[in-house]
Amino acid sequence: MRSSRIASVFRSQSRLRSALHVVVVTMLFSAGTVIACEADQHVSYLNDVVPIFSKAGCNAGVCHAKAGGGQNGFQLSLLGFEPQDDYESVVKLARGRRVFPAAPEQSLLLKKASGQLPHGGGVRLAADSEGYRILHDWIAQGALSDVGSAPQLTAVEVVPRRVRIEPGGIQQLQAIAIYSDGSSRVVTTTALYESNAEAMADVSEDGLVKVHDVPGNVAVMVRYQGNVAVFTAAIPLGADVTELPEPNNFVDEHVFTNLEQIGIPPSPVCDDATFIRRASLDIEGRLPTQAEAAAFLESTDSDKRDQLIESLLASPGYADFFANKWTSLLKNRRDDASDITSNFAFHAWIRDSLLANVPYDQLVRELLAATGTVIGNPPVAWYKRVKDPKQQLEDVAQLFLGVRMQCAQCHHHPFERWSQDDYYSLSAFFSQVGRKPTGVRGEDLIFHKRGKATAKNVKTGESLVPMALGDDVGEITPDEDPRLKLADWMSNPDNPFFAKAVVNRYWKHFFKRGLIEPEDDIRDTNPPTNPELLVALEDHFIQSGFDLKELVRVITRSKAYQLSAMPNEHNLVDEQNYSRYYPRRLQAEVLLDAIDEITGAKTKFANLPPGTSAVALPDNSYNNASAFLQVFGRPNSQSVCECERAQSSSLAQSLHLINSAEMKGKLATGDGRAATLAKDEASVEEKVTELYLVAFSRQPSESELQTAIEYLNEPVTNADGECVDEVQAAQQNYQDLIWALINTKEFMFNH
Amino acid sequence: MRMTVALPSRNLATQVLSVITLSVGLLFGLASTTLAQAVCLPSPRLLTTTPMGGQVGTTVEVTISGQDVEDVDLLTFSHPGITAEAKVDDQGEPIANQYIVTIAEDCPVGIHEARVMTRLGLSTSRVFNVGSLPEVQQVSPNTSLETAMPLPIDTVCNAKMAAQAVDHYTFEAAAGQRLVVDCAAKGIDSKLNAVLIVADAQGNDLQVERRGGAVDFTVPEAGTYVVKVHDLTFSGGAEYFYRLVIQSAEADELVQRLPSTQAVSSFSWPPTGLTDEQLIAEAELNNQHGEAQAITLPCDISGSFYPAADVDTFEFTATKGDVWWVEVASERLGRETDPSIVVQHVSRDGETEKLTDVVELTDIASPVKVSSNGYSYDGPPYNAGSTDILGKLEIKEDGLHRLQLHDLFGGTRSDPDNVYRLIIRKAAPDFALVGWALHMNLRNGDRNALSKPIALRGGATMPLEVVVVRRDGFVGQIEMEMSDLPEGVTATGLTIPSGQSKGIMLVSANEDAPRGLSRASFVGRATINGEEVTRPCRLASMAWPIPDAWSLIPDPRLLADVPVSVCGIEQAPLTIAAAEDKVWEVTSGEKLTIPLALTRRCDFSGANISLNTYGSGFDGASAFEVPLDEETSEIVYDLATLKTAPGEYKVALYGSAVAKYRDQVESIAIAEVSLMQVQEEAKRLAEEVATLTEEAQAATEEAKADAEAAAAEVAEKLKAAEDAVATAQKQLEAATNRAQPKDIVDIIVSTPFTIRVNPAEES
Repeated sequence: MRSSRIASVFRSQSRLRSALHVVVVTMLFSAGTVIACEADQHVSYLNDVVPIFSKAGCNAGVCHAKAGGGQNGFQLSLLGFEPQDDYESVVKLARGRRVFPAAPEQSLLLKKASGQLPHGGGVRLAADSEGYRILHDWIAQGALSDVGSAPQLTAVEVVPRRVRIEPGGIQQLQAIAIYSDGSSRVVTTTALYESNAEAMADVSEDGLVKVHDVPGNVAVMVRYQGNVAVFTAAIPLGADVTELPEPNNFVDEHVFTNLEQIGIPPSPVCDDATFIRRASLDIEGRLPTQAEAAAFLESTDSDKRDQLIESLLASPGYADFFANKWTSLLKNRRDDASDITSNFAFHAWIRDSLLANVPYDQLVRELLAATGTVIGNPPVAWYKRVKDPKQQLEDVAQLFLGVRMQCAQCHHHPFERWSQDDYYSLSAFFSQVGRKPTGVRGEDLIFHKRGKATAKNVKTGESLVPMALGDDVGEITPDEDPRLKLADWMSNPDNPFFAKAVVNRYWKHFFKRGLIEPEDDIRDTNPPTNPELLVALEDHFIQSGFDLKELVRVITRSKAYQLSAMPNEHNLVDEQNYSRYYPRRLQAEVLLDAIDEITGAKTKFANLPPGTSAVALPDNSYNNASAFLQVFGRPNSQSVCECERAQSSSLAQSLHLINSAEMKGKLATGDGRAATLAKDEASVEEKVTELYLVAFSRQPSESELQTAIEYLNEPVTNADGECVDEVQAAQQNYQDLIWALINTKEFMFNH
Repeated sequence: MRMTVALPSRNLATQVLSVITLSVGLLFGLASTTLAQAVCLPSPRLLTTTPMGGQVGTTVEVTISGQDVEDVDLLTFSHPGITAEAKVDDQGEPIANQYIVTIAEDCPVGIHEARVMTRLGLSTSRVFNVGSLPEVQQVSPNTSLETAMPLPIDTVCNAKMAAQAVDHYTFEAAAGQRLVVDCAAKGIDSKLNAVLIVADAQGNDLQVERRGGAVDFTVPEAGTYVVKVHDLTFSGGAEYFYRLVIQSAEADELVQRLPSTQAVSSFSWPPTGLTDEQLIAEAELNNQHGEAQAITLPCDISGSFYPAADVDTFEFTATKGDVWWVEVASERLGRETDPSIVVQHVSRDGETEKLTDVVELTDIASPVKVSSNGYSYDGPPYNAGSTDILGKLEIKEDGLHRLQLHDLFGGTRSDPDNVYRLIIRKAAPDFALVGWALHMNLRNGDRNALSKPIALRGGATMPLEVVVVRRDGFVGQIEMEMSDLPEGVTATGLTIPSGQSKGIMLVSANEDAPRGLSRASFVGRATINGEEVTRPCRLASMAWPIPDAWSLIPDPRLLADVPVSVCGIEQAPLTIAAAEDKVWEVTSGEKLTIPLALTRRCDFSGANISLNTYGSGFDGASAFEVPLDEETSEIVYDLATLKTAPGEYKVALYGSAVAKYRDQVESIAIAEVSLMQVQEEAKRLAEEVATLTEEAQAATEEAKADAEAAAAEVAEKLKAAEDAVATAQKQLEAATNRAQPKDIVDIIVSTPFTIRVNPAEES
């Protein structure tokens, strides 16, 4: 009996439970070893051979499962989702030369895989490997297919499911496959493993998890033949958490409970200057004005932070900033000059809806089920840009449900439960979108086309009725717009995706990192770092009537949001437990507006009134004309992914801020701040204070003040070494000071 | 009744010179030109009036602007209750383009239209509003909070939007007060897509309306508020005018919107003789089959598509074989809706209700194919169809039926103002007509959308395309008539044949037709159920001349009236007519040769004009190639091929040609005369200065000062005269440049003629 040849067969559920017990006990006492069980000499094509193809990578998308013929004419289905097709490829196609039962070792399949014949994919199965031996035995036994007769894989389990591991520790995982006949087997060596945060833990091919020294929750996805299981590990820091801020709301309770559990002491609550700057940047996407900052610092109201949040939420700036976020994700893209009307109308619709605090479910409903013309009903513009029903469902699923359905168009989703039927039955909701031409080129009038909504699964040819990610939404008569049913389903309080997706997205907006990352890839195999908090946020959001302002309010009122960005001696390593505020570089538009604010310059934008801020830009067309927006990563509205916004840093960004003509021009603006300060009668101290209030929302420290004054008092000479005019010199000095402030991290970052 | 407008006489020089225009045109017409080809000869177009209206019973100073509106001698309105006189300066001289407009006390409140009589005839129209509230004009610039203009409540402000600007207005209001902020723009011919914002005193937006609606604002606390207005895409200019009002309203008051022009589709509403006598209201809740509102046929119901996704269900019993006609108006009432009806027969299978579709009714199709928005127009750019409903309901089974009415655009929009009227009636055959100036299809992808007044040059024939919406199965032929025409103008309607949808009305001016203007009557006649009926034909026009309809979407609308004018100054570049004014007779199966006379009044590009035939019976004839440089030609219809049935037919020939048009040639001669006059004056003064200078030199000491003063005085006059010469030279230069030949392609239509097809004698 070969210890790695796992084929324990259990005939009943009771035997399964006892087997699992054996597995767990064995694992506990001999971590890293594999259980020896009863052997079965028969090799199953479905349950032994196909998993080898997956483990060895033969049926990966880049190898023989590559669309359009695989490699060198040998085509396998992706990850073995179509085993019968694969059987035909392996055994029958290419005149049957891939297998040779009379002399199995002469089979082309084995000679290529083991490198005995040249193989573009290299050696995938060494001749002495277990995989090679299984294939060999299967061929020797006649290379028979048991698809249809062999037990079906119904689930895969991982043991253990959740543990607490100290930094630096290891954990061997065991993968157990469970079949339709009640049998199970350990498939640790043939399962595939993937960590969702390699900085926290990595996992070997054989399921050995090694934990690093970053505290928090990490997950490892275990995949086996289209089934998945998740192992999660809590990695404690283990420090004493003696001081926690008094919680402001449930957000704090969940965040601080987690910090206590894993032993990460949080940074203290930030000071008022930091808070007003942070909240203004996060809610309105702009710096507080000098007057706002000064008034806030002076205020002694005990609830002044809450007051500030209310004032920010009531402002049009909130609507502008969040409209900027949503329009980009909804692809408000200018491909043609004539798109201007629909783009402006669409942006304005979102902006006005946010200003009026239209409930989120209503907003999505208006978008999904939009009908009429762009001018009469601007969300129709979404149907102008996203025309293909498949693209519609994919965008809607990713953006509003946090589910990436793209894979399921062609094959069963590799990491998820979504099948092609799920994909096409979701697309069926969009099958009755009628279009009529209008006088506007490229613009259709959208209406509900009466008829029974169905969509055809292109693989099976079956006509599918609308189903929302597997949920039945009830009968839809030909007169009913199925999109309204989809919207009804989304806004149902029991919907497991809709509220979760948006609260996670907004959480990320304020905390830099989503509770689930990426924020639009929500699946069982990608668990949240603080599941209780996510559930509580969802519940609160639903109970508030999908109130987006309330969502922002509850997040920003929390002490967790108000923690300092300065790490303490323990929490610098923390990247997912929110023990401190994670600083972020200002977004392209926000940074441009901030620079305009401190320099007094006004960036001009085509077709918009003077004074329009960059966060209020309606579409991507302004990126073409603005090197600044391009360099700092303003997205081009090509995708529904927030990742399109490039928040990384680059040399070009540094050069742009340090030495670009644009920056020089802004600093030297005729009626700009430097010119005004140079002529101003106020004291130097007052002027330096003004600059610090504008740039950082705080007073300068004594040493900063002295340094600035000394610099401002330095005489300025021209190329000939002669002193220049006093006002001119002062203007030059103020320009230099402003330039220096802009080029600090304190300015460029929200912290 | 013929309504002729008295025209002031033009000055003598213009009248005389108009006669010589064409000969001069021919003389200079040979000059080569490299200018790009333009489309359509100049037409006078009134583009703006400032202000755009006034309060009833008041007098308003109005300034106009337009395109090709030289020598305006009359500002006229579609309602006789509005009259205008030229504004005069201190010397009693008329000030160009300024008028004193008087709105009579009994002038109806609403939309009227203004036009000007120009050198080229009557212009296109511009909406002129008559309201009941006091009116003010914008004090600009008011593009910031600091420069905001205070606007009293219940006062209409006439304003223009600048590009990349936001206009600001302030008003004071009391807590709890209900105010409705409304803005008329698209509905009064403006290019502005108005965005209305109510903001607090600091300019923070509180409520926004961007879909053409009004802002219904209940004042949260007493104080100053701001109304901001801007264009959806921040476009602006003289054509982006608007009328803004902040109306006070009671809490439950239904506030009327500012009036608006009618879309082309609304010509087919209401059916003749419709009254409110039988009108009943829909009764919500009637959304489900089980909640259907019981009605009896015939019926006339008013309702609204409200709230979002509203479905109104009605049930009635009907008898197999019954035929009903169903009509719904909503889009034609000015709402952005798309009504849809499904009628189902209800039967029972035990406890289960079985529904069987009887008919599904949606749009009123355009009677002719409307142009797609492709490369170039492939049909008229006017849509006479509607998203409303007009269709037949044939009852196939006795018993209970349900009718479900909903708005295909209404899934998510919740607006109680989305009203409809549903009529189910026994067949009442009828028809409605709408016409518009024929639009030119060009091969080069030109998509201009031109507003074209019926302003005729002598010898010209203007084609109007007329389409019919037929009601309740009416298929009869329709004759068209236009009466009350100016002197020298005739109108010939080419019959709309039985069952067909399109006809042509040709309006022709004699070569020597005098300058004139009248408001014509335009009707269609048909026999319905043995009785002759007359129905009006509405005219539609683009609100603006739009050079490129891909970048700016044209807004066609219905016109208030049918004014016809003759300019009396210019003549058509080419007149084509049958050589004799007679009925041309031909026997079925034989050939008919018609000699043509071509009167060419300027040069043309190309040797031939390709002519097709308008008029049923002959419109299938192949195109005729007619030489442009010959004074006579002939065409031959082969009746054997055409197979035209015996009868009398009105036909005309049409094509297009590129004229080398010379604009305002007469102004060269005027400028020459003016130049000659001032040159002579300057010459005389120069001689006088020389004489006086000599006399001063020779004068005695005592007389010298006076003599020198006299010489200096005349020298001053000489300087002024020399300036006048310079000005006159520039005017001559400008006139000469303006009159350089330009290639302009336009539609050419012959004077209509009549053909009688006699039956062949039986062999």
